[in-house]
Amino acid sequence: MRHRRRVWIVVATLVVLHFFLHVGLGLGPVAPDLLTLALLIGARALGPGAAAGMGLGFGLLEDALSVLSFGANAVAMTALGAFGSLTRDLFVGDSLVFLVSYFVLGKWLRDLMHWLMVSEPLRRPFLDQVLLQGFVGGAYAAVVGIFVMAVSGLWRETPR
Amino acid sequence: MPALRAEPEATGGRRSVVLAVAFFVVAVVTSYLPGPNQQQIASAIRTTALRPFITIQRSLVAARLRAADVDVLRARLDSLVGVLSTMGALEDENRTLRSVLSLKRRIGPDFRPAELLRPGTPGSESMFILDLGASDGVRESAPVVDREGLVGVIREVRSHTSVGIDWTHPDFRASGMLADGTAYGMVENRHGAFREEDRLLLNGVAYHATIPDGTPVLTSGLGGVFPRGIPIGRIDGVAEAEAQWRKSYWVAPMVQPGSVTHVLVAVGESVPDDVSDAWPLDSLLTREQILRQERARADSLRTLADSVRVLQNLLDQARARGEGGT
Repeated sequence: MRHRRRVWIVVATLVVLHFFLHVGLGLGPVAPDLLTLALLIGARALGPGAAAGMGLGFGLLEDALSVLSFGANAVAMTALGAFGSLTRDLFVGDSLVFLVSYFVLGKWLRDLMHWLMVSEPLRRPFLDQVLLQGFVGGAYAAVVGIFVMAVSGLWRETPR
Repeated sequence: MPALRAEPEATGGRRSVVLAVAFFVVAVVTSYLPGPNQQQIASAIRTTALRPFITIQRSLVAARLRAADVDVLRARLDSLVGVLSTMGALEDENRTLRSVLSLKRRIGPDFRPAELLRPGTPGSESMFILDLGASDGVRESAPVVDREGLVGVIREVRSHTSVGIDWTHPDFRASGMLADGTAYGMVENRHGAFREEDRLLLNGVAYHATIPDGTPVLTSGLGGVFPRGIPIGRIDGVAEAEAQWRKSYWVAPMVQPGSVTHVLVAVGESVPDDVSDAWPLDSLLTREQILRQERARADSLRTLADSVRVLQNLLDQARARGEGGT
């Protein structure tokens, strides 16, 4: 129960921090994608339905600031939430390798789905947006994710 | 009775998957909603859940501006000291400050100053939010300018805010012309391999027209969206020539959208047809062109001084000859 409460505190903090850094301070890509990180962490504590709902909520929050590709983030985050939740049944444990792969792949999948959902004229080149920035962003998210998991005690606490 | 216990778990799992699919369908439907409905949802979220973050950004921009004011004051003090050593630097700074202060006066009451904010989230790279809305007279398709030229155009108007796109957006189009009116074309955005390589293209110029690099490109006023005479950029080489009937030129934009924090936005029902007077020709020249012009002016003055000196000598000689004769 304490673990669960801690997960939601971490998720809520990451969401607030994400919008504070991206919108409040206007840091843009310099700041990590903490919203995706929050979804990936939260999704592992929920069933696919609730995780997808959380993804939809997060996606709509981001879409509110990108009027010209409205819905792209919602679809990407909803699918990612469900995917994150399903990994509970597929992978058990919290090894460093698993966590790094989970965060890198999660962030990359989110970027890929967002790229697929935005209209053709708004798309940046695949090489730049998905392959280059997607993986760099994924690695960045993984580093931050591991740090967050370690500092918050979620990593240590996860039942082995 | 393990089978009996397993059944509710399976039902719960199935329900969860059905819920996930339902949420996914809602997300997909959201992305295909009509534009006005999407804008209503976005606006509702922006004015509720995201309001604190937008307010923080606004306060930070204001704080940054106050800091910038101190920098400007310090720069003015520096230039007062510098006037003893160099007049050129002072003139240069004076020109810059005048252009900033007088744009609003020159462009008239149809444009109002506004604060420009950037959301900085994925998918919003080419859009900005202004702190003026319908209640201030802002309408859709209103041009947004700063002291250097065209920044973008308003796409969505709320009561106290409005959302616009800058020239880096793929939908950005402006009817352009050369400053002397000798060539017209459509200015549009061209993505580079990376965002920093984005630039503009002047399309549809007649093949026989040869435009030297550095020539200013202004809005032509055709199409009724942008008034005539707003600087867009400067010619930066030939991009392509098609079958000997049409050329397109790269245009280096006057405005770098990332550095813009304050703009002027058109308000009211009608925008003036021509605002060329707001950007005098001097302000469109590059530093090299201005230097070349000043050098030419100094040369003509020197030549004129030489001619006056020769005429004075001739006059003196004539006068001396006249006195010798008497």
